[in-house]
Amino acid sequence: MSASETVEVEGHIIDSLILAKVLDVILEAGGDYTILDVQIGRTSVDPSRARLEVTAADEESLGLLIEELQIHGANRVVQTDAATEAAEVDGVLPEGFYSTTNLPTQVRISGRWIDVENPEMDCALVVSPEGRVRTVPMHRVHAGDPVVLGRAGVRVRALERPRGASPFEFMASEVSSEKPKEQLVARVAERIRHAKATGGKVLAVCGPAVIHTGAGPAVAALVRGGIIDVLFAGNGFATHDIESNVLGTSLGVPLGEDLPPEGGHSNHLRVINEVRRRGSIANAVADGYITGGVMYECVQHDVPFVLGGSVRDDGPLPDVRTDVVDAADAMRAELPGVAIALMLASTLHAIATGNLLPAGVETYCVDINQAVVTKLTDRGSHQALGIVTDVGLFVSTLAEHLL
Amino acid sequence: MSAPRTGLSWGRRFLMCPPDYFGVLYEINPWMRKEVPVDLDRARDQWGELVATLVGAGAEVELLEPQPGLPDLVFTANAGTVNHGRYVASRFRHPDRQPEVAHDVAWFTEHGFDVAHLPEGTRHEGAGDALPFRGVFLAGYKSRSDAAAHAPLSALLGAPVRPIELVDGRLYHLDLTFCPLDDRRALVAPQAWDAYGRRVVEALVPEPFVLEDDEMLAFCANSVVVGTTVVMPACPPRVGRQLEAWGFDVAVVGVEEFLKAGGGCRCLTLALDVALGPSGPGIGGTAALVAPPPSTGTAAAH
Repeated sequence: MSASETVEVEGHIIDSLILAKVLDVILEAGGDYTILDVQIGRTSVDPSRARLEVTAADEESLGLLIEELQIHGANRVVQTDAATEAAEVDGVLPEGFYSTTNLPTQVRISGRWIDVENPEMDCALVVSPEGRVRTVPMHRVHAGDPVVLGRAGVRVRALERPRGASPFEFMASEVSSEKPKEQLVARVAERIRHAKATGGKVLAVCGPAVIHTGAGPAVAALVRGGIIDVLFAGNGFATHDIESNVLGTSLGVPLGEDLPPEGGHSNHLRVINEVRRRGSIANAVADGYITGGVMYECVQHDVPFVLGGSVRDDGPLPDVRTDVVDAADAMRAELPGVAIALMLASTLHAIATGNLLPAGVETYCVDINQAVVTKLTDRGSHQALGIVTDVGLFVSTLAEHLL
Repeated sequence: MSAPRTGLSWGRRFLMCPPDYFGVLYEINPWMRKEVPVDLDRARDQWGELVATLVGAGAEVELLEPQPGLPDLVFTANAGTVNHGRYVASRFRHPDRQPEVAHDVAWFTEHGFDVAHLPEGTRHEGAGDALPFRGVFLAGYKSRSDAAAHAPLSALLGAPVRPIELVDGRLYHLDLTFCPLDDRRALVAPQAWDAYGRRVVEALVPEPFVLEDDEMLAFCANSVVVGTTVVMPACPPRVGRQLEAWGFDVAVVGVEEFLKAGGGCRCLTLALDVALGPSGPGIGGTAALVAPPPSTGTAAAH
């Protein structure tokens, strides 16, 4: 945990070396700073001004550090409480609402800084009658909810630099096809072990290519082995996972040979149809229609899954949520406790998930296509590592490390 | 340099206060000891000689009326800071000196200065902690004055202010460690400052004369310069040789009675004719004598 506060220094802070001195004092005390704003005076008489966010290990150290900085002329920036306005209508935010990022956020209420409970980007902040603050997506705001307006009384904390063993440290760039994969997989496995040891959950987001490349059994093994705690996917992944178990093909392509059998292109439709006949994937498992695979293991081991629908879906499977807003809410409900997200050969659901996750969840994006990986990891300041490789090989190797 | 050197562009008009009620009645700096008595007659003689020396060197001296119960009123250097006829009143750290301000403000108001005040809660002890050099005020902080005062001070004076952190408790005002001699030279005691302060002064002063510890502790930096005459509480031979080599005349005025309160020659004076930077709107006032800005040509010294 760390504490931070904004200070400003004003005057001839450049020529007088006061700015340099203040920054040195912060670092020498073991703290850190982010320069928020610097305005340099135009003439030699005009003062310059700098605003810094100062961070220390805890409130007490921060207090001592700020006192020392005040000796050199740095002052706490005067803070005000956040302004709120009641929403007039369900699902419509007041004009000028504060729009969130996925970073840890605090709101000042009656002079105290309150942590936002569930950081998520592109939402509004709603204050409860007990003085708690949550992010709320536009469609979930109710008439009368106090919504935070503007920027006063809201502060965002930059993420601490990752410490200790972390794959991010050894790679200069975040995405490249030219990195030793064996090492990367080993590091990801280590991070997963570490997360699970500290009570964190692992979320897997899977695209259909996971099944096409033959990685289904490895993912199923990871679910069975208790490594994967939550699954997000779409109709395609679930369908081809079931198809591979029931008919031995994925989108009609036998997973053991190269040539598609005749009529194979309709295999997935037949499978979807049979699951629809039974009413749900769980029912299809219960009556023995599905006897293995990822969805099977999820049902058998009570691993929650959310299947989000899309306009191109065939069927869809009965468990697929065709109302995408409802699908996103279902995904939100499974996020608390997630420490690691594995995005496996998915674009649509990976981006949707990335939009919901708070910054600070370690995210590993695996795809054969560098552009997809770049798109997923290029999402702002949170911790994402891109790995350009065949997802089949990746997941098999990962399973070997972990099981 | 072939062009004749001009003396300091300011320092020909001073405010001083007779020591009728001077004494060491409290202890607010490491030099003060209540049990050491002040010889008031000797103090008057020494003060009188300082006035005579300054006038003899070409300065005008104006007087502030002394007040019973305010022994440190004699140290007019701390009454405030002056620039272009604007007087910024001091805010003293110690309650013992705070009552002086009302008398200082009254004098400046009566004499046509534009009176300004620093924000409440910021402390600054006047010209003792703000000395002009090459277009900027060097301002001491930590012992008595606050760094937080520098930004408002700069705004009120209309000139840049560069902070210097004072790190030796015995040298509790900047004017015990820095003495501007002209637009290129100064007496400096960098051992009284922190590393950043030293770099700032190094960058600012083309020809500093660095005082050794014993010279510094003899209050050599607490001198008053009138044109090319340096009026000093003491002048060790090494210092004297350099000043004479530079073309200054040295006049030593013993002020031992005042050293008992931690103040030397400079502390007993406040220059009223400082004029740094352009006198823009908001900096005004009707100061009777304002020295012309330094020129490269004519020698104004005598």
